Amino acid sequence: MEATIEVRGLRKQYGTTVALDDLSFDVDAGHVTGFVGPNGAGKSTTMRIVLGLDAADGGTALVGGQPYPQLRTPLCHVGALLDAAAVHPSRRARDHLLWMARSNGLPRRRVDEVIDLVGLSSVARRRAGTYSLGMRQRLGIAAALLGDPPVLMFDEPVNGLDPEGISWIRGLLRSLAEEGRAVLVSSHLMSELEDSADHLVVIGRGRLIADTTVSELLATASKGRVDVRTMQRAAAMALFANAGGTAAVNDRDAVTVSGLTAEHVSGLLDAAGLPYFEVTPHRASLEEAYMDLTRDAVEFAAPPVGEPR
Amino acid sequence: MTDRPEVAGRDGFHRLLLAEWTKLRSVPRWVLTVVATVVVTALVALLVASSSNADANEHRVVVGPDGQPVSDEFHFVHQPLPGDGNVTARVVTQDDSNAWAKAGVMVKEGTESGSPYAAMMVTPGNGLRLQANFSTDLAGAAEAEPRWLRLTRSGSEITGYESPDGSVWSKVGMVELDALPPTVEVGLFVASPNDVQIHRQLGSIGVGETPTAGKATFDNVSVVSAQPSKPGAWADLDVGQPGTAGASTESDGMFTVTGSGDVASDPPDDDVVLISLSPGVLVAVLAIVALGVVFATSEYNRGMIRTTLAASPRRGPVLAAKAVVIGGTTFVAGLLASVSAFLLAQPILRANGYGPPAFPEPSLSDGPVLRAVVGTAAALALIAVLSLGAGVILRRSAGAIAGVLVLLILPLLVAHALPPGAAAWLMRLTPAGGFAIQQTVDRSETALEPWAMIGPWAGFGVLCAYTAVTLGVAFWLLRRRDA
Repeated sequence: MEATIEVRGLRKQYGTTVALDDLSFDVDAGHVTGFVGPNGAGKSTTMRIVLGLDAADGGTALVGGQPYPQLRTPLCHVGALLDAAAVHPSRRARDHLLWMARSNGLPRRRVDEVIDLVGLSSVARRRAGTYSLGMRQRLGIAAALLGDPPVLMFDEPVNGLDPEGISWIRGLLRSLAEEGRAVLVSSHLMSELEDSADHLVVIGRGRLIADTTVSELLATASKGRVDVRTMQRAAAMALFANAGGTAAVNDRDAVTVSGLTAEHVSGLLDAAGLPYFEVTPHRASLEEAYMDLTRDAVEFAAPPVGEPR
Repeated sequence: MTDRPEVAGRDGFHRLLLAEWTKLRSVPRWVLTVVATVVVTALVALLVASSSNADANEHRVVVGPDGQPVSDEFHFVHQPLPGDGNVTARVVTQDDSNAWAKAGVMVKEGTESGSPYAAMMVTPGNGLRLQANFSTDLAGAAEAEPRWLRLTRSGSEITGYESPDGSVWSKVGMVELDALPPTVEVGLFVASPNDVQIHRQLGSIGVGETPTAGKATFDNVSVVSAQPSKPGAWADLDVGQPGTAGASTESDGMFTVTGSGDVASDPPDDDVVLISLSPGVLVAVLAIVALGVVFATSEYNRGMIRTTLAASPRRGPVLAAKAVVIGGTTFVAGLLASVSAFLLAQPILRANGYGPPAFPEPSLSDGPVLRAVVGTAAALALIAVLSLGAGVILRRSAGAIAGVLVLLILPLLVAHALPPGAAAWLMRLTPAGGFAIQQTVDRSETALEPWAMIGPWAGFGVLCAYTAVTLGVAFWLLRRRDA
């Protein structure tokens, strides 16, 4: 079976709230695909529909070319971590994995293997209720890996992890992709994905905002912007505004200009006789690119601090 | 357990059963609940048995040919019949003193109360019957008097006939009375059972009985013996000790007979099997309902249902596997509980007066006892599945537990305060009727426990229907709802 997730024209409505609106994207083998969007954008809903847990009002979601509910041993096709807290607190971690293994006809040996893999061997016989959030995340990841599936989905996997855990997850995600698996990782924080994702699917309010590689996204966000470093910041900003550009304060002596090319900017500064240290193409951070993309798509935004309400 | 790689080749439902069983056995509280169910049921049975007393054996108990307690009181106008022969009479009139008042002809071993007999009779409310030995009851024509009745003896075979006119006879049936002596007593008899008054108030039931006097007239009375013998002389007496004394007069071949009492099986109202099972099971039900509900709602409390349905996307089989696992586990625990409750309580009950002859000794191999003991386990299993269904439907433990308990327990409490007709309907309409499977004695009108208001299989059927409908709704909702 091919290691892919194909989402086509998904629509889902809860009452009058539109959760997903004609969402389409692919998750390919051998890559970590970041699934990004603000809270409430529809990431978890999409994952639940892919897993056949929620029924879509329209569109299709296929894993390896098949609808999930038709899989007979789904854990061997798709591994998913949706909610690390979804474990009965009185059940030993090992028994939690054991019932899942039983349901897909997996051998008991596999349970011990994944427990080792996520580093829970020493606590596998403890009740899940005694686990820290980080340990539960590891247990959830162990459950996802149980059937050695070619497709993996993780919903906010770094939540509650300590720095050591975060770096472990990043390494795990990369190595899973290198083994040729399709890995979909959701997050509401782009920075979490900066080092691990190759590909990005950005959604907001249930719509696809961007389906692109990380480098393309950075290039798009940086395009047409120029960083200027000058001691005479106020004069320079007035100058750019008169010339039709938009200037934003970046630092004590730095301004980011959009709408004007680097040549135009340096020409203006030279003509006005304003001294400057540097005029360079802007290098956007992933977070910045993401903020630009989702500015209009944030569902629950607080008004900017300090503005009159 | 060792690794079994071949598990991967087994069919899907088997894997679901294993998964659900692993879930059930891996939560210590649930295992404890199952074990506690067995222990508590047995302990409660012991306690109740120790504090129960019966004085039925302190009175004279009449037992029938099979050793069962019977009522055998009536007025008998009789004469001996040596060897084979027949007795014939026409019932001209019968007073409507009771729906089961009896007037007719009888062949009886002797005049001792409880001895073997066969009788053809008319009744005001139940038509024409052929009855024998307090257990056989064959129906004849629906309309009663005036009617010609005949009993023919041939060895141990007694055959009953009826006729509207004394010339065209039709056979009602034949009964075998083993070990009849060569000479038996034959003649006319009249009986009329006591009227029963039931007084119900919240929490208490009073039963009052008043004797009634039956009266009937007969003509065309004849006794024919196959052996040459001189015609016998009629004698009359009250068999047993009827509430009011009977009498008979004869003029020109017209006999007028009055009599009181009844000729019928008279099982004790107390059901010794029910006493040993019922109280413990009422306590066990609380634990079983909670277990069944929580086995479902624990999936919803923390979103575990998503893990379950992601691992097994076919939702119908998932619920079926859950039902089989919780039902099967409860059945095994219930069987342990009911068998041990029965075995522990019976010796104590016997020592406390619940022994023969008023209470024939029950054995696990008796049909009704086996039905009660196994049926109790089956009823608990059904209640567990019913609770599971309610848990899936409501997804909240408190509401589901309360709902199921209200359906199961409340009718038992309310039924005590209702008139018998309404109480019977309550048992037919609520799963509480399922407890009726614990009955081992035939229902009598003086047995007024709620579960005596409905037959064992009928009550069990109501519980089955409730379970099927609840599980059906749960299936439908589970398949339709987003997880």
